[in-house]
Amino acid sequence: MDSSTTSVIHSYLGSAAEEMRRTLIRTAFSPVIYEVLDFGISVYSKDLDLIADAPGLAFFLGANDYAIRKGVEHVGVENLEPGDIVILNYPYWSSAHAADVAMFTPVFDDGEDAPFAYVCIRAHWLDLGAKDPGYVLDSTDIHQEGLILPALKVYKRGRPDREIVDLIRFNSRLPDNVLGDLEAQVAAVNTGIRRLKQIRRKFGGEQLETAIEGILDYGERVTRKALLDLPDGTWEAEDIMDDDGIDDVKIPMRVKVTIDGDRFVVDFSASPDMVAGPVNIPFGLTQTISKVALKILTTPSHPSNAGCFRPLDVVAPPGNLFHAVYPAATYTQWAAMIAMELVFKALAKAMPDRIAACSGGDVPGFLMYGKEPETNRDYAISNNEPVGWGAACNHDGSNALNHISTTMIRNTPIEVLEAKTGMQFESVELRCDSGGAGNHRGGLGIRRDIRIVWPGHFLSITKKSKTPPWALAGGLSPEPNTMHFFPDTERSKKTGTHRAAVEVGDRIVSISAGGGGHGHPWKREPQKVLDDVLDGYVSTEAARELYKVAIENGRIDEEATSRLRERQTE
Amino acid sequence: MRKYSLGIDIGGTFVDAIVFDRQTGDTRLEKALTTPENPSTGVLRAIDKLAIDLGEVETIVHGTTLGLNAVIERRGAKTGIVTNRGFRDILELGRGDLPPDHMYDLHYQRPEPLVRRRRIAGVPGRITVGGDVEVELDEGAVIESVAALIEEQGIESLAISCLHSYRNPVHEREIEAAVRERFPELSISVSHRVVREHREYERTCTTVIDAYIRPIFERYIDDLRDELESKGFTGMFLIMRSSGGAMTADAAKFRPLDSVLSGPAGGIIGASHLARELDLDQVLSMDFGGTSLDTCVIENGEAGVIHETRLQHMPVLIPAYDIRCIGAGGGSIAWLEEGMLRLGPHSAGADPGPVSYGRGGTQPALTDAALVLGFIDPARFLDGQLPLDSAAAEAALERELSAPLQSDVISTAAGIFSVLIAQTEGAVREITVEQGKDPRDFTIMAFGGAGPLIAPLLALEMGIPSTIVPNVPAVFSAWGMLMTDLATDVSRTLVVEVDDDALPGIKSALESLEGEARQNLAAQGVGDDDQTMLRNLEMRYVGQEHTLKIPVDSDFSRETLRRSFDAMHQERYGHESAQALELVNLRVTGLGQMPKPELHNQRADVRDAGTGASSETRRAYCFKEKRMTDFELVERRSLTPGDRIAGPAIIDEGTSTTVIYTSQSCRVDDFGQLLIETPPVFG
Repeated sequence: MDSSTTSVIHSYLGSAAEEMRRTLIRTAFSPVIYEVLDFGISVYSKDLDLIADAPGLAFFLGANDYAIRKGVEHVGVENLEPGDIVILNYPYWSSAHAADVAMFTPVFDDGEDAPFAYVCIRAHWLDLGAKDPGYVLDSTDIHQEGLILPALKVYKRGRPDREIVDLIRFNSRLPDNVLGDLEAQVAAVNTGIRRLKQIRRKFGGEQLETAIEGILDYGERVTRKALLDLPDGTWEAEDIMDDDGIDDVKIPMRVKVTIDGDRFVVDFSASPDMVAGPVNIPFGLTQTISKVALKILTTPSHPSNAGCFRPLDVVAPPGNLFHAVYPAATYTQWAAMIAMELVFKALAKAMPDRIAACSGGDVPGFLMYGKEPETNRDYAISNNEPVGWGAACNHDGSNALNHISTTMIRNTPIEVLEAKTGMQFESVELRCDSGGAGNHRGGLGIRRDIRIVWPGHFLSITKKSKTPPWALAGGLSPEPNTMHFFPDTERSKKTGTHRAAVEVGDRIVSISAGGGGHGHPWKREPQKVLDDVLDGYVSTEAARELYKVAIENGRIDEEATSRLRERQTE
Repeated sequence: MRKYSLGIDIGGTFVDAIVFDRQTGDTRLEKALTTPENPSTGVLRAIDKLAIDLGEVETIVHGTTLGLNAVIERRGAKTGIVTNRGFRDILELGRGDLPPDHMYDLHYQRPEPLVRRRRIAGVPGRITVGGDVEVELDEGAVIESVAALIEEQGIESLAISCLHSYRNPVHEREIEAAVRERFPELSISVSHRVVREHREYERTCTTVIDAYIRPIFERYIDDLRDELESKGFTGMFLIMRSSGGAMTADAAKFRPLDSVLSGPAGGIIGASHLARELDLDQVLSMDFGGTSLDTCVIENGEAGVIHETRLQHMPVLIPAYDIRCIGAGGGSIAWLEEGMLRLGPHSAGADPGPVSYGRGGTQPALTDAALVLGFIDPARFLDGQLPLDSAAAEAALERELSAPLQSDVISTAAGIFSVLIAQTEGAVREITVEQGKDPRDFTIMAFGGAGPLIAPLLALEMGIPSTIVPNVPAVFSAWGMLMTDLATDVSRTLVVEVDDDALPGIKSALESLEGEARQNLAAQGVGDDDQTMLRNLEMRYVGQEHTLKIPVDSDFSRETLRRSFDAMHQERYGHESAQALELVNLRVTGLGQMPKPELHNQRADVRDAGTGASSETRRAYCFKEKRMTDFELVERRSLTPGDRIAGPAIIDEGTSTTVIYTSQSCRVDDFGQLLIETPPVFG
């Protein structure tokens, strides 16, 4: 088959995923889907190889790959019929925590008895009856984390199974939202089915199969070629997670990354064993972390497919922190975000010119839930706080963007949060001097001052608040993420992950980390330091102390600056 | 009534000026080069070339992308922002997300902001979500901050944007009054006036763009009007809006933002007008120019309008035609990556341009493929102004693509077209399917230089039965401007559950918006009888974020709203819900009827209805047989109403080429338009 037909079919498959994405966003009930875009949409071949996906949460996309294989294996491909939709959230299979519910469906052409493709959509559901409302921070086994749906047909031959729907309804604290989102996922799945059938009819089964092979081979070749351009070797790195949510003990995470010609190996064997709290990572998610890192490194602007990941091997023995087995708790998956940056930390040793320094360390999130005072309706609304991105050898880190593992996610507007939750904000601003100093400066993090105006519960989630984000090549580390509950009171507590009942008048300060710096700060062009001072990104004091630039009345004092700088050596 | 109407459209390369003679029904076109440094120069040159008495001109409708270009090239006014203390980074923070094509980009850099942080001041004062004043505005701080922004930063324009001003704008009004009194020279944009809708980043960004373009837009309009008046023009001077309709120059100075995305509007107005005249319920406009393809859905003669769009990556809350754009044009480069044929996103642009331009391009582009496939006459390209080098195009295709693919040049060129069509189909499906529509129910209206070449092929691929190519498709956008009405849009956020208690409030808010719209139209000289009001409510099920826009009459009940909403939700998304209904935004569009040129029925001019056949043929590519074959070659000038042409055929008119592919047929209608029929199934 000619190259253009493969390219044409490639384009059609991508738009099928995009149509599913649009359907989901438009019909979803929960802000976490329609505002925060917390979902992943994937299209698979009959052999369950990823052939197309739509922009979403990177970790969901990769996790779908593992989930659908386990799901089809459990149900049995011979038991799948047209119109069946399978629902799955068993973490060790679905490769995410129990609230992230994957739904997949086989796609049959009319009259055929084997599927020629599959589509899968995963989205975050607000509540499936876990031990606590909102989010679970301290579970010690899987059964505290919500209703488990181990690959069940929630639709059979195109009709909803009312018993399973009822089971979900009666196990959720927010059934209207959850069932609304279920319907939205079904609508999106159906869009995918329609579209894939049309594509197959247009090109014929044989041509479609050949094109899919071509697409996968292309993904593989592009990735291998990019790997060949990188230095060979093995590099190790370690980073620290705050705790497991149960004991106040830091957890070291270790990775060994190898590039060997056109192969890429990520090995987490040196990381500790599983822990009691809910920070254990299912192996499918460990694979996903590695896939996203490989993608960022080799093919950031190409559409993903299974071919891109053929050069990848991921190692983590069962029972390792990165290969959770039953009944390990897995709800708070922040370790995954730290781990992805950890892969880059290892790679930076080999290629400091290609990798940016650490971007905030992980994703600082907060969530408030309770009852709306007027309607008495339950609500739960979360927000991921942007962090400063790491600087690289040729540019500053961007200020306040969502973490590199969640780049498509949007934060929730202040005016929406104030309308729908019990939070009112006294300020939301970039933090002066929060970017790691360097020849190239790390991006700035945010400070958010919150005052509670209706009672409820407030949750803070970050697992990297005790150790700072890492810098590169002589750059400096910024301060880590922190949530400061109830400052200037007896209850004052600076923490990472925490749940607290809040009353009217309570105050909370959220601090998101900046990015690591790159290169020695005293090498930074004085004009750039001046610009940073004029824009309030850097203080005059930091300019003098760290960057060795003397600034007086909005001007560089050249003489004083040369005096400050001449004493600096590598 | 004076003799002429004028349409003037500024494009990237040319200014098109089209004159319509109201007495004879004739239209005539002149072009002049675009003059980016001083845009009015090019406009005036094009008008001069028409050589008409400007005293005889009733209206001039002008489409300008001045505002858009100022933003893209960062050439707007030096702008400052006054906002709440503690919130000066709303603009920079945005929503924290990356554009989708940077999803995996570890090195993402934000584009240069329109306002640097040093030009943003936060002042004490706070209004709550409920609209209560929690902290009084500190006017002293306002004056002090603005004085500093002017003296130290040299700002020329100020955006005022406070939290919850959509709910209670009192602080914004106080800031505005204080600043106007103290600094009367400063240009001011106030968020609740620019767009009274919730979401602070989107509203602030919209207001900042308004502030950024306002001073240069005002200067441009004033200068151009002075020039026109000095040449004797005393008629009505109108500016195109992004969501269709026009506004008087004075109204445009008040709302420059409404013109920002008006580039493609003329073509869509033209297509909507034709859709009404020809009684077509569902039309897809396809405007394929040199750099991009824009497509838009037109139902019952009205093009879809959205209320949030993007300018680069910045959100803008203005009504604009719902256009899907794919960045593929004649200059898009075809290349190979690990054996996969790809088209774009790189473009050879106009300089050096495709290889066949002979200006130093070495990478084969879409135009080169069209040339090799025989669809373009190298001697007549752009009306003969740019002879093309076929041999060079063929050599480049061979060297860059065919040789490595071990294929022949013709199949390679055909492959490039297939990739283009697949991308285009993606855009068409996006815009139709997401509204629950079947693209095959639409009629394509194809214009722009390359529209009549590409659209019929798309129709074949998608099984869309009917394609219309209007007269002089290359300048259809300028023609469309003559078909415009005056229009004004007003809106307001009012988040409230739709129950019987809420209805009176909703109705009175709608009435007050309607009053505002009527006032806007009256100020532009539209009498009461010529005004039409379109009322829309944007609603959702409680719990949803995205809304659907439901048209309403001046009176309605809770039940009728519920029924209309459920029905539209069912149509768009395949399900409805028992959840309560929530109103989010109210929108009123006021239209002022304007006289328009009529389509000229050429039936009377027909010599004898014939075949329009010619003995000439050209070798061109047949996608059905996958080889070169003989296409009948027809001169469009020679066609008259009733003529029929069977594919394969090429209809050349110099400024554009219509291709009737194998198995398609074409009929010339009473107005001289080409109606191309496509059989339901292909290949």
